[in-house]
Amino acid sequence: MELAKKIVLAEDNSMLSTLLKFKLEKEGYSLFIAENGKETIELIEEHNPQLILTDIMMPFISGLEVISHVRNILKLQTPIVVFSAAGQEKIVLKAFDLGATDFMSKPLSPNELLVRVKRLLR
Amino acid sequence: MNSYQYLIDYLNNSPLIIELVWSISSVFFIILITLIIYLKYLRGSLRKKERLTAAYEKEYESNLINYLYSGNEVDEISLEQQAIIDQFNEDSKDPFKRKILISVLVKLKNEISGDIADSVQKLYFQTELVHYALSRLSHKKWYVIAKGIRELKKFHVKEAYKEVLIHINHPRREVRKEMQLYMVDLFYFEGLDFLNLLETQLSEWDQIQLLGILQKLENQDIPNIKSWLNSSNDSVIIFALKLAKTYNQFEAKDEITILLNHSTKKIRLETIDVLSYLNVLEAKEILKADIENRSHEEQIAFFKMMENLYESKDESFLVKYVHNEIFEIKVSALKIIKALNKDKFNNLIAESSDSQFLRIANFVEKN
Repeated sequence: MELAKKIVLAEDNSMLSTLLKFKLEKEGYSLFIAENGKETIELIEEHNPQLILTDIMMPFISGLEVISHVRNILKLQTPIVVFSAAGQEKIVLKAFDLGATDFMSKPLSPNELLVRVKRLLR
Repeated sequence: MNSYQYLIDYLNNSPLIIELVWSISSVFFIILITLIIYLKYLRGSLRKKERLTAAYEKEYESNLINYLYSGNEVDEISLEQQAIIDQFNEDSKDPFKRKILISVLVKLKNEISGDIADSVQKLYFQTELVHYALSRLSHKKWYVIAKGIRELKKFHVKEAYKEVLIHINHPRREVRKEMQLYMVDLFYFEGLDFLNLLETQLSEWDQIQLLGILQKLENQDIPNIKSWLNSSNDSVIIFALKLAKTYNQFEAKDEITILLNHSTKKIRLETIDVLSYLNVLEAKEILKADIENRSHEEQIAFFKMMENLYESKDESFLVKYVHNEIFEIKVSALKIIKALNKDKFNNLIAESSDSQFLRIANFVEKN
């Protein structure tokens, strides 16, 4: 039996993260939820996921620092999708410079996210 | 008992000032104790409210997620969903719970789009929260009205158009602002029709916000702005000029040109800027003919326009202004002559002995 692909989702809006968890788990993925950057890094180190979904603005450690940690400290090439709000275009560019794979702007469509997740984990 | 008697005797035998000091100290002491007790109570009640809010938030969030994921494939409401709707309906009767429920719905609506956002919107109607928002529109307090309009905008309640439009000339700027944002956010360019009825002034910030929303729209087909250019409300004219510039409304050039003679200086200045941007050469000739009768700001704006719209026939006109008393005009005239006829520009430098003029000319030559 094939093991479920692991995804770490870093999002400080608990309702959004629960919603996305339900959506992605229904498709057979295994989700690990973090509410801040520190928890995200801990989950990534512990579970070595196949995909990371992270909000750019998070308490304690930002999404940018998470990307930097994954690429420069952990030396992982795991695909990273960043979520950004309107007006954060410059930060998104920084995220790409640091090694983000894709980005989605908020408000985000869970269906569109699912399509992107499937494409990245194909 | 003896010690109390001693204190009373001490106070009775004390001079008046000592009695007064003791009395004031006692009053302050009582006030201090009362305030400490009150603060303790206030802190306690705030914490209790916070805990209660967090508990309701959690409950509503979980119910909302259940609602979103317990639907049928067909477009029907499942029993579980109906139970959640009924509970929300019941809770929304209590203003405290209603406030939390709305904040939960808004929190999710801000973060998602697509089918789920539509479902949240549907739920807003099913729980009849919309009626509470509508009832706020006729409230006595302005901030309740403003919040009501904002909520209706957030949940795209287009049906409230008439009720919201009533507040077009509300004495409070905040209410008017919410009304304007509601119109443009929900009805796009068509929503700008409120400009026909606006009697109050549209502030610079209001205009920026409206343009910000309009520029995000996919459909950029702007309606006819000519009627707004003829408005009796100066701020509407200025906003229409901004629209003309942003959306290259060259077809409105005749109406805009008429504004060169508007009674308000700010409009005349804005008009020169827009006509320059739209490259309306006829406007340049009109201004050239009566530039001396215009204010200094208009003259400066006109020469800025000339920098954009100059022609070789303007040379003789410009030469008259290279020694103008206004610095900006001098610089503009020299810049254009330099671009039109370098020999003439060099001759002007050679002929002049005015050190200030030469400094400006040298600067223009190098830049």
